[in-house]
Amino acid sequence: MIKITDEILNKYLDGELSREETEQVKSQLQSSEELRRKFNALKLVHEKLNMLQEDELSLHFTESLMKQIVKKQFVIPKQQKYFIASVATFITILCLVIFGFSISAVISTTSTSVTESKSVLDSVSYLTDGLVKTLKQLFSGAGLSIIGSIFSIIVLISGYFFFEMQKRSKAHLSNGQQM
Amino acid sequence: MRNLSDQEIIDSVRKGNDSDYAIIVNRYKNKAFSMLKRMLKNEFDAEEVLQDCFLKAYKSINAFKGDSKFSTWFYRIVYNSALTKLSSQKRKTESEMTSVEDHFNLESEYNTEEIEKEDVKKLIHATISKLPERYSAVITMFYLNEMTIDEISEVMEISVSNVKVILHRSRNALRDLILNSRLAEELI
Repeated sequence: MIKITDEILNKYLDGELSREETEQVKSQLQSSEELRRKFNALKLVHEKLNMLQEDELSLHFTESLMKQIVKKQFVIPKQQKYFIASVATFITILCLVIFGFSISAVISTTSTSVTESKSVLDSVSYLTDGLVKTLKQLFSGAGLSIIGSIFSIIVLISGYFFFEMQKRSKAHLSNGQQM
Repeated sequence: MRNLSDQEIIDSVRKGNDSDYAIIVNRYKNKAFSMLKRMLKNEFDAEEVLQDCFLKAYKSINAFKGDSKFSTWFYRIVYNSALTKLSSQKRKTESEMTSVEDHFNLESEYNTEEIEKEDVKKLIHATISKLPERYSAVITMFYLNEMTIDEISEVMEISVSNVKVILHRSRNALRDLILNSRLAEELI
C-alpha cells in the first residue's frame, strides 16, 4: 500500500501514476474523508487555474514597439559613430594641412608680386594660379606617392576596425541566441 | 489568410519584411505580459521589460537557429530579463537565495476567514502574484501559456523534476488557502 503524500495526489491529478498506483489512490480516497477533502481542494485549484486569463496590454503597445524597431534600424551604433567621426576628422585635418601648406607656399613665393599688382582681381587670379601650381607639384611624383601611402594606411586601418566591429556584432548576436 | 506559423513569420522577417514582426508581437505580448506582471509584481515594469524583450528577440532573430520552438526561445528571453530586472532592483531573487526547498506562507497574506465563495477564482488568480517569482512563472507558463513541463524546464534551465516540485508546491499552497477558509466545506 503506498503512502498518499501531497506529491502522490498531485501526480494522481496529472495522471502520472501507474495503473496500480492509481487504483490504490482511488481506493484510499474512497475510504478517507480527510484525503478526499484534500484532493477535492487540489482539484478545485487546478480547475480555477485552468481558467486563468491573459492580461491585456494597451492597444498602442505593438504600434509603439514597431516604431522603435524602424527607428533603431536607422540609428548608427555609438561605437560606429565614434569610428566614423574619427576617420572624418583625420581626413579633414589632412586636407587642411595640405591646403594650408599650399597657401603658405604660394604666399611666401609670390608676396612681392601680389603687392605690386594693381587690381584685386589680378591678385586673386595670381594666387589661384599659384595654388593650382603648388597642388600640381604636391600631387605629382614623390608628393603623390607620399599622399597615396597615407591614404592607403588610412584605408588599411579603417578596414581593420571595420572587421573588428563586424566580429563584435556577430558575437553580440550569438549572446542573444544563448540568452 | 491562413494562420502563419512562427517559423514562417521569422523567415519572412529575416527576408526583410519587418512589419511581419508585429504578428509575432501580437501573438505573444499578452501571455508574456501576464507572466512578467506576476513575476515583477508591477504592471509598469512588466510593460517596460516586455518591450526590451521584443527588441532583444528582434535583434537576435538571425541567430535563432530553430533548435527549439520560437515560443520557448522567446520565453527564455522574457524569464531571464525578468530575473535581471529583479536583481537590478536588488530584490532577492529565488535563484540567488534558495533552491526549490524554500517555504512561503500565503495564509499570512490573507484573512482566510473572509474569503467569499464567488471570490475564490479571483483570489486564486490574484494569489499567483504573491508566490515567489519562479513559482508564479511556472504557474503562468503551465496554465496560461499551456507549455509542457519539458518546455518550462528548458526556459528556466532547471530539471524537469524541479519544475514539477515547483508546480506541486504552488498548487499545495493555494489548496491550503482554500482548505483553511471558512467556505472550505461549501467549496469542496
